Amino acid sequence: MTSLDYLLIALRVAFAAFVPLCFIAVCVWMERRGAGFFQDRSGPNRAAIFGFRAAGLVQNLADAAKLIFKEDVISGHIKHKFIFVLAPVIVFFAALVSFAVVPFADTLVLGGRSYIMQGVPVDLGILWFLALAGFAVYGIILAGWSSTNKYGILGGLRSAAQVISYEIPMALAVIGVLIVYGTVNLNEMAQFQGQLLFGFIPMWGAVLQPLGMVIFIVAAFAETNRTPFDLAEGESEIVAGFHVEYSAMKFAVFFMGEYVALFVSSAIIVTLFFGGYQVPFLATATLIDNARPVAFLLLLLLPVAMYFFAGWIRRNNVSHYPRENDPRAFEAKVYIRGLWGLVVVIELALLAILFFASPGGPAAHIFAALLQVCTFLVKVTLMLFVYVWVRWTLPRFRYDQLQKLGWQILLPLALLNIFVTSAVVVILS
Amino acid sequence: MSARVKTIARRGASLQERLYLIEICKGMATSFGHFFRNLLDNSRLAVRHYPEVPPEIPVRWRGRHRLTNHPDGTMKCVACFMCQTNCPAHCITIEAGERLDGRAEKMPRRFQIDLLECIYCGYCVEACPLDAIRMDTGIYSVNGTRRDAFLLDLTALQAGQGAFPEDDYQKGGA
Repeated sequence: MTSLDYLLIALRVAFAAFVPLCFIAVCVWMERRGAGFFQDRSGPNRAAIFGFRAAGLVQNLADAAKLIFKEDVISGHIKHKFIFVLAPVIVFFAALVSFAVVPFADTLVLGGRSYIMQGVPVDLGILWFLALAGFAVYGIILAGWSSTNKYGILGGLRSAAQVISYEIPMALAVIGVLIVYGTVNLNEMAQFQGQLLFGFIPMWGAVLQPLGMVIFIVAAFAETNRTPFDLAEGESEIVAGFHVEYSAMKFAVFFMGEYVALFVSSAIIVTLFFGGYQVPFLATATLIDNARPVAFLLLLLLPVAMYFFAGWIRRNNVSHYPRENDPRAFEAKVYIRGLWGLVVVIELALLAILFFASPGGPAAHIFAALLQVCTFLVKVTLMLFVYVWVRWTLPRFRYDQLQKLGWQILLPLALLNIFVTSAVVVILS
Repeated sequence: MSARVKTIARRGASLQERLYLIEICKGMATSFGHFFRNLLDNSRLAVRHYPEVPPEIPVRWRGRHRLTNHPDGTMKCVACFMCQTNCPAHCITIEAGERLDGRAEKMPRRFQIDLLECIYCGYCVEACPLDAIRMDTGIYSVNGTRRDAFLLDLTALQAGQGAFPEDDYQKGGA
């Protein structure tokens, strides 16, 4: 193994471990500011460091500081303290580890050797995700049970019943996808989706498996305990459900586990149905061969996008009341300068690619991989936004409605999807 | 007089509504409209930028209390205990003493309102026969770091100023 091998292993493991953690902050921020904007409020926008609020992201630091310094209470009535402490760890760990099989870029070929771009190099793919998604519910059940609290146990039971019910349609929806792609490996699925249907439509899962996509997304909402299926929390009936006895960092670990699960399930949805890391219309091979034109296009588009973004910041990052020497205007100016600096750095990198990258050379490969990582993260962020969007639009289902939807509607539809898909695949082959 | 009956059509029975997904998409379009408008221009947000922009306080709004004075500066209160008796939260404590300025026989020697107990119901103002206690200071934010800071004594109550012109208060006051 060369030092390059070690470097790339370290990079891909670090990516798989830290990007979901970083996205906790993004998710919480998007959730709270998004909730505000959906409801014509502004959301948290006051927490600041030296007057810099970073659009409300600093609020996350304040929340984290609060949770870290809170008293960590374990009530005297809790007998199984080990399980009580273990439960949030299971939730968090299962969520984090399930990201390990999601590819965030196509296999990188450098110097004749190929480097796989996912956390753990296993071929289990979607099976790994399904297994760990089912495992995460143990954390919730154990938390509810070991809390020795009626609300806790009700939340845990609801969550268990819900996850078991929705795992079936989810797995059946995945079967339809497997029939189309002919593989369980997520990287191969993403490669398949790089093709073009009739020469102009990206061959994404959303196009090939629309019904499967709807079923999978609905089931994924239920699996992550998100609205409209967040009965396990149900603050109006069962206070907070399974985490009612948890405080301080133990609660925070549950909370972070929930958001990591959100990120991972977005990543899985994107990989299965929205082309994974593939740049639309530009499969990996095309991207590597045409690194220069793509870099040139980005070189032109980036300043234009930044110009409009800067205008948006300047218009919106102001105090909406009379104020002398508005510090927010200064803040906006600093942000805009910083972002322009970033744009200049990226432009220089793109220029370097434009002049020095030979088609099919190592620079073109790395450029393609970076572009795919960015595409992947943008797609996942959009999917996360859909989660937030649905949460602040739909009310919660009643428990019997939830079970009815799962067993009487989604399950038959998923079976129908499998039959239709198999028939079409058999006819076409 | 007959009751007016308005029959509201039951919704949710048509196929389109029972499919549910279409209605979800409509709802999501509505909420996204709000999100997008606010994202493009956040001056449209229906928020008050609170600490900097104070809320508009109408005349009838019940704020912190004050004890009023006669035009010559003497206290109107005659320590009749009407407010203390009426107070449902038992937050008023009065100790009466002899009055030497000739206005009346009694005046409060001690008049204390515990703002932590007060529920701002305004019964004291209604009970007062002499318009001696009012809640028209317009003070909506009372804060402190110690419990003592919330005990208003006679001097603090007398020092309070009305936030509205007398005519407006007489017209609309509680």
